Amino acid sequence: MSSTEILAEIQQVLADLEKISFVAHRDTQSALGAIQPYGDETVLEWVKACKALFEHDRDAGKAFMRGSVAACGASNTVLPWTRQAMRFLAWRGSWKAVDGYMEQLPQAYRSLGFEGEVRWAELGLDWCERHLDSGVAYFRCPVLELEGGHGINGIEDVVLPSVELFGNRRLALGTYLSGAIRVRNLLGIEAVLPWAKRGADILQSGRLRGEAFFKLESEESMALLLENLPGFRIPEHQRLLQLVIYAWFGFNLDLLESKWSPDKGRAFVETDGVALYLPMALPDREEAMLAVLHATGHLKFHSYERRYIDALFRAAGREHPPLDAEQRITWRPLFAAYGDDMIRFQLIFDICEDTRVDEQIGRHIPNYRQRLLRAADAAAIVDGPAAAYFRWARDLLQWTIEGAPADPVFEPLRPLLSNDANIVDAFRIANELYKHTDLPAIALLARDQAFLPGRSPNAARPVYPRRMLDQAEFGTGLEDQEDVVKNQEIKPNPEQKQIPKHAAGEDPDFDIPPEETAGSGGRVGVGIPQPAHVLGYAKGAEYSEKGKPYAEWDYRDNRYKRNWAWVQEKTLTELDANEATRLLAQYAPALQRLKRAIQTQKPIRMAPLRRQFDGDELDLEASITYVVEKRAGMSPQANIYRQRVVQYRDTAVVLLADMSTSIMQACAEGGGKVVDRIRAAMLLFAESMEEVGDPYGLAGFASKYRDNVSYYTIKGFDETLTSHTRAVLGGLTGRLATRMGAAIRHAVASFDRAPSARRLLLILSDGRPADYDDGGDERYLHEDTRMAVKEAGDAGIHVFCITLDAAGSEYLPQIFGAGHYLVLDHINDLPKKLPEIYLRLRK
Amino acid sequence: MKGFLNRLRGVERDIIQMPVEDTAAGPYYEAQGNEIEIFEAAYKKRLPVMLKGPTGCGKTRFLEAMAWRLQRPLVTVSCHEDLTSSDLVGRFLLEGEQTVWQDGPLTRAVKAGAICYLDEIVEARTDSTVIIHPLTDHRRQLPLEKKGQEIEAHEDFMLVISYNPGYQTVLKDLKPSTKQRFIGIDFNYPNEDIERKILRNEVPELAEAQLAPLVAAGRRARTLKDHGLDEATSTRALVYAANMMAAGITPLEACKAALVSPVTDDPELAEALLEIIRAHFS
Repeated sequence: MSSTEILAEIQQVLADLEKISFVAHRDTQSALGAIQPYGDETVLEWVKACKALFEHDRDAGKAFMRGSVAACGASNTVLPWTRQAMRFLAWRGSWKAVDGYMEQLPQAYRSLGFEGEVRWAELGLDWCERHLDSGVAYFRCPVLELEGGHGINGIEDVVLPSVELFGNRRLALGTYLSGAIRVRNLLGIEAVLPWAKRGADILQSGRLRGEAFFKLESEESMALLLENLPGFRIPEHQRLLQLVIYAWFGFNLDLLESKWSPDKGRAFVETDGVALYLPMALPDREEAMLAVLHATGHLKFHSYERRYIDALFRAAGREHPPLDAEQRITWRPLFAAYGDDMIRFQLIFDICEDTRVDEQIGRHIPNYRQRLLRAADAAAIVDGPAAAYFRWARDLLQWTIEGAPADPVFEPLRPLLSNDANIVDAFRIANELYKHTDLPAIALLARDQAFLPGRSPNAARPVYPRRMLDQAEFGTGLEDQEDVVKNQEIKPNPEQKQIPKHAAGEDPDFDIPPEETAGSGGRVGVGIPQPAHVLGYAKGAEYSEKGKPYAEWDYRDNRYKRNWAWVQEKTLTELDANEATRLLAQYAPALQRLKRAIQTQKPIRMAPLRRQFDGDELDLEASITYVVEKRAGMSPQANIYRQRVVQYRDTAVVLLADMSTSIMQACAEGGGKVVDRIRAAMLLFAESMEEVGDPYGLAGFASKYRDNVSYYTIKGFDETLTSHTRAVLGGLTGRLATRMGAAIRHAVASFDRAPSARRLLLILSDGRPADYDDGGDERYLHEDTRMAVKEAGDAGIHVFCITLDAAGSEYLPQIFGAGHYLVLDHINDLPKKLPEIYLRLRK
Repeated sequence: MKGFLNRLRGVERDIIQMPVEDTAAGPYYEAQGNEIEIFEAAYKKRLPVMLKGPTGCGKTRFLEAMAWRLQRPLVTVSCHEDLTSSDLVGRFLLEGEQTVWQDGPLTRAVKAGAICYLDEIVEARTDSTVIIHPLTDHRRQLPLEKKGQEIEAHEDFMLVISYNPGYQTVLKDLKPSTKQRFIGIDFNYPNEDIERKILRNEVPELAEAQLAPLVAAGRRARTLKDHGLDEATSTRALVYAANMMAAGITPLEACKAALVSPVTDDPELAEALLEIIRAHFS
């Protein structure tokens, strides 16, 4: 075709276009100028494409024409993308896709390059072929977001998994894509597929739920993401962090989980003056370590000391710090004076206070500031106003590490490096700096990026003021007596306070409807044991079946009532790892003694029994002594043999704890509640049993009516003692009443799984068997328990009861038989005694 | 020189040995408090002494140093659960057609006027701990039951036992009647300055720059005792770590090998200990 013919053809097509639509012709003409430099043949193909697309779908054509100039500018070509655009002709109603395609085209060329663009278009066109709406979603998704800094591979990584999901479960790309990109950005590409698979399942069960999942709006989506969070996962290293805190600072702190989630920005360690709140994960181990040390340093070096906070508020012009309903100090008034510039001041104040505290920590922990600086140097600085603060804080840190040489910039901060500096000094200096600084104004959103790794906003939470200095620095301490808050009363999560109740059987809360016991609800210990819905662990573990029936002995009729008491196996969901750690620390010396005692008992080798009268080898030494003494004219005993026997005692034991409401009572001897001792006793028992090596189980029981006996298996024979088990023991609470017979029968049944021939059931109780429906007839359940014990004996299981009830000797002999019970009226001894009792029994 | 040759040959020596009088050969011991004066006073009055303290804090070294200082032979008996009284006192042996009595280490020490050191006495059987009773009061006699004899102790004889309170258990403890016969000297890990001095002396080739963090890390690690750590990092372990470092192992590896791996199998605890060590050596 000659050039004249080509020109003529172009004119023909343009004329056709004009005939079809004025707008089409006008748009083509206006873009033509950009296309013409590529030659007439190119122009011809392009105008043909314009016409074809416009005829196929007016909007597609318009989008193509209008996007051409930009596409041409970005790619310096015409034909490749023109030909790609022509492929949209294959589908009806593809104009949305063309629209998105043309819009993203320039960016695709810029960020993916020529070959990348081809692949990008290819992926999208495949999707159009598969499912047009998905194709539309694909092309509408901004290329920059799609690639997320990983180029074309990034796009393939995020898009290709969805092909399979679409094939198997009809998961459209539009539903998947935006969430998947966010998940990838937050957690990395590995997290996308498991997340999407779960989402597809949910989508099939319910559309709304599924969509919420994919939009990352539902809790299950978030929970799933948190489980797959990359970086240093705090829950898995809680004990390590606790040990590190103890090693450096010499005290134990509760480490609680904060409500942070990846979409809330940067993860920080926070404190409320009593406990540390840790996010699910921190970027790496070093940052986690530094952050925990730094936050603990704030507590150790009095950032939240009541006296200083009072002084701080006085300096800010308020007589008393405002307290919230839980007697925590709220910070807001301190910063309110700065109005819109509040964040700027807060940051300066934080940097001053952090400098002071880090200086103190640095004296305590070698290389701490150097590590902090190293982490800061390694961190990527996010552009914007936050960067200025970050750099300033880093330079300041460097200055302190270098020993604070004379420097006009940092000179005002020198007082903070003194050993006597406190938070009020930091506040004063921050105010001075604030007046003279050239640090830029900053918005709340950008604030997170201003902190060095390991540091965090100091006023992030309302705090319980600390009282460490009362006696030490401020004289008598008597002036605090009228204060509402006493340091020892402060507990994190005050809403979980447990209310002591009367003994089972007279439970005043009996008529109160069931309530959730796992959440933040009020009366732990009186609700029904199984929450209506459970958050977190063991989600959805609800029990609807009636459980397992057992007969009950009725002494009045002298017969068994068949299928009378119903036992349900349940899981305890209240976890308290901090309590477990605290108890283990408290009883560490006792535990250590026990372990040693056990070690000496443990058969580690064939124990030779020397000087036996009978045996399979001669005891050489004894024989010689024998002969010698005989020759010397004495008449020695003929105990000259040696035996080798393994002193292995094959015993399986279940420790069954009475978990009725009465254990929530305060100890008569003071110092906490009965349940504290029971927790400690069970923990120590479990730890010692690990040392003994005998198979053992832990369980608890509570009841309400005959058809509702709850049996909580805390640890089965075949399970190992994990930190989860310990946390369950730490979170043990009392609830309801004591239908002991049914529980014993169920425990006896559980011995089926026990591997040993000798079987022992240890019952830990604090009162007589009783339930709400025994009609005030104590004897009824006594007799039933007695029968249950007898049945256990018939089944070859030895039952032994340890009671905390001082009046136990009145009724226990009838139930368990003489010598099969022990009254421990000195309850503080329970934790130490319990394993000892077992060791004595197993001999 | 003689000591060196003996080490080369593995020479058998009698257990009763007078300490070498050469001053340079005296065992190194760094006093932590007044233990030397107390011990010397007890020796002057010939009172039995009980050394209490955790593993590896220098009890045995102290006694070696004291024996050398007082110029008395030292007889050490490590007690174990099969140790009978005849192992201590002696027994009859057959020799040809006749029986011969052979003195045990305790009897020999009593006769020779040595310092007899019963290490970890709680481990021994109760019958063997009871026979020392007459030796520890005004009688200062050792009854030889089988021979129907009593030995009056040599006037220089002294009995010393060691007793680690960590080993005090439900089942194993010294009888109160035994305990109260002794002068108790409490040992603990020395303070930081002394500990540094000890390390400097034991491992002179270790660089000063490594010594200070090593001692600091060891002391910090001790705080984790009772938090899962049964035995705290001992001074002896620090000396071992210092030796490893002097032998060319990196500080971190040396500490891991000498201070962490031997004391715990608990991965989290090990991690916490390493964290402390890393902080000091980073």
